[in-house]
Amino acid sequence: MARRSLVFAALLVALALATVASLALGAVRIPASEVIDILLGKGGGGPNQQIVESLRLPRTVEALVIGAALGIAGAILQGALANPLASPDVIGVTGGAGFGAILIIILFPGSIALLPIGALFFGLLAATLVFAFAWSGRNRGSAGKVILAGIAMLSLFTAGTTGLLAAYPERAPSAIFFIAGGLTSSGWEEMETIWPYFAVGFVFAAVLIRPLDRLALGDDVAASLGSRPQLIRLGAGVAAALLAAASAAIAGLLGFLGLVVPHVVRMAGGSSSNTFVVPASALGGAALLAAGDTLARTLRAPIEMPVGPFMVVLGVPLFLWLLRKAV
Amino acid sequence: MAPEGQQREGRGYLRRTHGPMGIAAGPPEAPPPLPLAAQGITVEIGGAQILGGADLELKEGELVAVVGPNGAGKSTLVRAVSGLQKTSGGSISWWGKELGSLRGRDLARLRAFVPQRMPVPAGVTVREAVTIGRSSHLRPLGRMTGSDREAVGAAIARAGVERFGERALTTLSGGELQRVQIAIGLAQETPVLIADEPTSQLDLGATVGVAGLLRSLVGDGLTVLLVVHDLALALAVADTVVVVSGGRTVAAGPPAEVLTPERLAEVWGADARLSEDGGRTGLHVAWVPEAAMGTGASS
Repeated sequence: MARRSLVFAALLVALALATVASLALGAVRIPASEVIDILLGKGGGGPNQQIVESLRLPRTVEALVIGAALGIAGAILQGALANPLASPDVIGVTGGAGFGAILIIILFPGSIALLPIGALFFGLLAATLVFAFAWSGRNRGSAGKVILAGIAMLSLFTAGTTGLLAAYPERAPSAIFFIAGGLTSSGWEEMETIWPYFAVGFVFAAVLIRPLDRLALGDDVAASLGSRPQLIRLGAGVAAALLAAASAAIAGLLGFLGLVVPHVVRMAGGSSSNTFVVPASALGGAALLAAGDTLARTLRAPIEMPVGPFMVVLGVPLFLWLLRKAV
Repeated sequence: MAPEGQQREGRGYLRRTHGPMGIAAGPPEAPPPLPLAAQGITVEIGGAQILGGADLELKEGELVAVVGPNGAGKSTLVRAVSGLQKTSGGSISWWGKELGSLRGRDLARLRAFVPQRMPVPAGVTVREAVTIGRSSHLRPLGRMTGSDREAVGAAIARAGVERFGERALTTLSGGELQRVQIAIGLAQETPVLIADEPTSQLDLGATVGVAGLLRSLVGDGLTVLLVVHDLALALAVADTVVVVSGGRTVAAGPPAEVLTPERLAEVWGADARLSEDGGRTGLHVAWVPEAAMGTGASS
């Protein structure tokens, strides 16, 4: 218990540091104290306030929300499917969202504003197809069936994406940023469209924490306690699909975060109890994406590196090191 | 409805478990509804008929053991009455209420189901697991109250798992884990506890411990339903034995009357008899048919 409190405290500190750094650092460096004043509404109204409020704050909030969403999506999927490989990838969301975005970029380059909607729509469509197949026929709703249907759907949509890129190679460069995954300083506009999907996903995930803990003791114990195991799995899938598709709509494909953050949190806290793992994954994901995005846009400024590959490069060694120490 | 006076004085966690959900008493002369009455249960799984008209009854405060050969449908029957297995026919009622009309939350207040072996999540302690067993008493986002924590503590103490209450589930032996599973069921504070082959994977000492625990729960006022493989164990612990064979209930009654040599021959196809001597029970089996005795390698 003490170890988990320690992990929570460390995550909160990391989150606070990452948030302030994300707001303070960039082409113009703003002292942390001034950032905090601006956030508290005590800014002097100068250009720094403008930079923080209209350029950096939206991006920081996006990083925090998307990081938390992907952390939670991975945590509840791994819990619901009792499978350590589960992530938004395996329910097809990432593949679908990628296809939807590339479709807009390549076939309708004039309507690039539709990109988030395309990613969201195809992300959710892919997840719906996965669940429809996994919930039909015999042994419906089993974890194995969901994962296999998800991987099949991922392959299908990835093939579609690759096909589009191959057919229009001259337009491929503009698609790269989305595939790599990254945030932009484009204000509140995307968030204004997408936030309801995040909100519903977050509420769903919170309600699912306790049922997921029951499910961890097996379908029979969950059923003994009055839950319907298949319904818990479906609910977790829907919540994860909403969170991951909404994330992809804004920040492209950052699936790695959803896979790794819950594992790191579990290994650090020494517990797989969802009451701990889900909120800790939210904090960890938010801190990691905010920190990663800050580093990606400041290390080689003014060149912005896409945060996706950047985080993978940083995250994989850490992950492997923790994995080696785990049983 | 059983008059209050009939309620046995139990431990703290057993109080207010009788007459669950305020089921109204019928007219005074009407017999009280049984905790469980199931008739003509049929179950099909993947097109194959597993149960073809099985019956099962539980009376308050008794221990019922379901016995039968492998594949007879014992576990399926117990899962069906517990609401864990879809049925295709028959009627199941808990205290006079149709199983189908009970919501999951309400059913979770009537019976606890202890599986044969639950999966063991990493980094979860015994106390945390038993706390999860209490969650049927909480609202979706509600918090544990003092009485919930008391119930968890009482279940841990009653199942005899206090000694390793703070250890991780992954570090427990088979017998210890079975006791924890029973503690999870007890935390549900239901009047009926159902366990599917609770001793089938345990060694002799652990079996004795778990069997003694289950029997003593009946002394606390619980009604207990078990699937049991070991007939000598069933004879020792059960008030009533239900014999399931080929998906049907073929006999039910006191173990000594039901588990006769004739029935063992008919249902299990074995030449065997049970014996009882001062609380010790035994199963005497003609392991090798007489015709085969003495016919060695020479034949």
